[in-house]
Amino acid sequence: MSAGKPPLSGGPPRPQVKALQCPKCGAAIVLRTFGQAETVACGSCRAILDAKDPNLAILQQFEIETSDIRPLIPLGTRGKLHGTDYEVIGFERRHATVEGIPYPWHEYVLFNPYKGFRYLSEYNGHWNDITICKDLPSVEGGFSAGSGSAANWVGETYKHFQTTEANTDFVLGEFPWRVRVGERATVTDYVHPPRVLSSEKTDKEVTWSIGEYMYGREIWDAFRLPGSPPEAEGVYENQPSPLTTNVQGIWMAFAAFAVFLLAMMIGFDLLAKKEAVFQQTYHWERAKTAGESSFVTDNFELKGHPSTVELKTWAAVSNQWMYLNYALINQDTGQAWDFGREVSYYQGYDSDGSWSEGSRDDTVVIPSVPPGQYYLRIEPEVDPAVSAISYSVQLTRDVPVLGIYGIALLALLVPPLLVSLRWYTFERSRWSESDHPPVQISGLTASSEDDD
Amino acid sequence: MFRRLYLLLGFLTLGTVAFGQYRGWSLDSIDQVKNVPKSVRDNPGSYRSVYSAYHHYTGGK
Repeated sequence: MSAGKPPLSGGPPRPQVKALQCPKCGAAIVLRTFGQAETVACGSCRAILDAKDPNLAILQQFEIETSDIRPLIPLGTRGKLHGTDYEVIGFERRHATVEGIPYPWHEYVLFNPYKGFRYLSEYNGHWNDITICKDLPSVEGGFSAGSGSAANWVGETYKHFQTTEANTDFVLGEFPWRVRVGERATVTDYVHPPRVLSSEKTDKEVTWSIGEYMYGREIWDAFRLPGSPPEAEGVYENQPSPLTTNVQGIWMAFAAFAVFLLAMMIGFDLLAKKEAVFQQTYHWERAKTAGESSFVTDNFELKGHPSTVELKTWAAVSNQWMYLNYALINQDTGQAWDFGREVSYYQGYDSDGSWSEGSRDDTVVIPSVPPGQYYLRIEPEVDPAVSAISYSVQLTRDVPVLGIYGIALLALLVPPLLVSLRWYTFERSRWSESDHPPVQISGLTASSEDDD
Repeated sequence: MFRRLYLLLGFLTLGTVAFGQYRGWSLDSIDQVKNVPKSVRDNPGSYRSVYSAYHHYTGGK
């Protein structure tokens, strides 16, 4: 073991690193896995050697076009994952080609002499901590084609994300299998964020592994790497949603509040007094109101707690208007509610048929009127074409205002909508990279699976 | 955290609605005038509504 490095997890005696020479180029080859590696790749001459052979027989010699492939975590780096020390012993670059475009990713082999192998993968700044599955997953719809619609593993269901051909194009260090450059495997990923269940199918075998998403910063902290990890690009297949909220839970809470709101609306409607406190019909004649048209009503009493007062106006208008200046005045305090209401109704026929506009009645709700003795000051103004008109005024105390429930419902609806929109946007980005991208159909969004 | 905030918002909303219903809140905007003279009772013309200069709709289709 190299000097200056911390020991791996405590327990049995410290294992020894074996130093050998590459039979091809003579460069030093370090074996850190104590006979557990199957192959080792020379970093100098790109020769893949048989690690089981005392003479390190050359299994493959590969060329690489670019020399800028360097592991982000150098071989020999040690770090702690899940409380266990691991050393990075191998690195490979693989790629999948989709529509002629290669998408490369990197895999790291980690080793602990007592815990065995573990793997890290990195794609565009997204990391996964990977172990081999000990229990065989079951695939819905069969695994003959390598891609069922879903897979089940230890009680969890994983949705099929994509199936692709992976090609190994660069290796470095030790590997617990007979690694080859140019090796091809059919890789199928099933996701259940933050986990991804993957199968690698070759001519000889199928290997299942389970990965858990890790952020670059966690990797950097675990291996005490200098600097900052590469910025993650886009949304990865098993990246956990930044939305920590359970969207379904929020909607359930909304439904509960909506039911409460409905119950309150019914309850307040039943409890509302709806007490008629004043009603009068008047007849207005232009000939009699040449001077001052305003007048006041008799006093009436509003009882109980401060409450709404609904004022309804009805006027016998037809292709006419009537406007009433109202003031509800407290006899004792001089406090007044001043407002004007128009009643207008127009009707007729044209090339489109009959039409009408406006209404012969009008309703307004005066808020929070305290109890007391009140009267109304009414000042009617009437369409100049009208010589006489009848109208009535009705006041009702303590009427429920249903619009408040509508506003409350909207206020309660906004957060779940925003959360759902954010969730949808994130998931849409995730699945747009899959074999099942969302598609846009006439303004509606559906999964391409729906079309099958 | 968001769920708790939402629950808080929900209960505040329900509480506000209940309080508003009890206190007689309305969605209509009505001007309030203080200290209307008692003489209005006997002389309604001594008071003029702020809406008396309203320009009336004389439309129809």
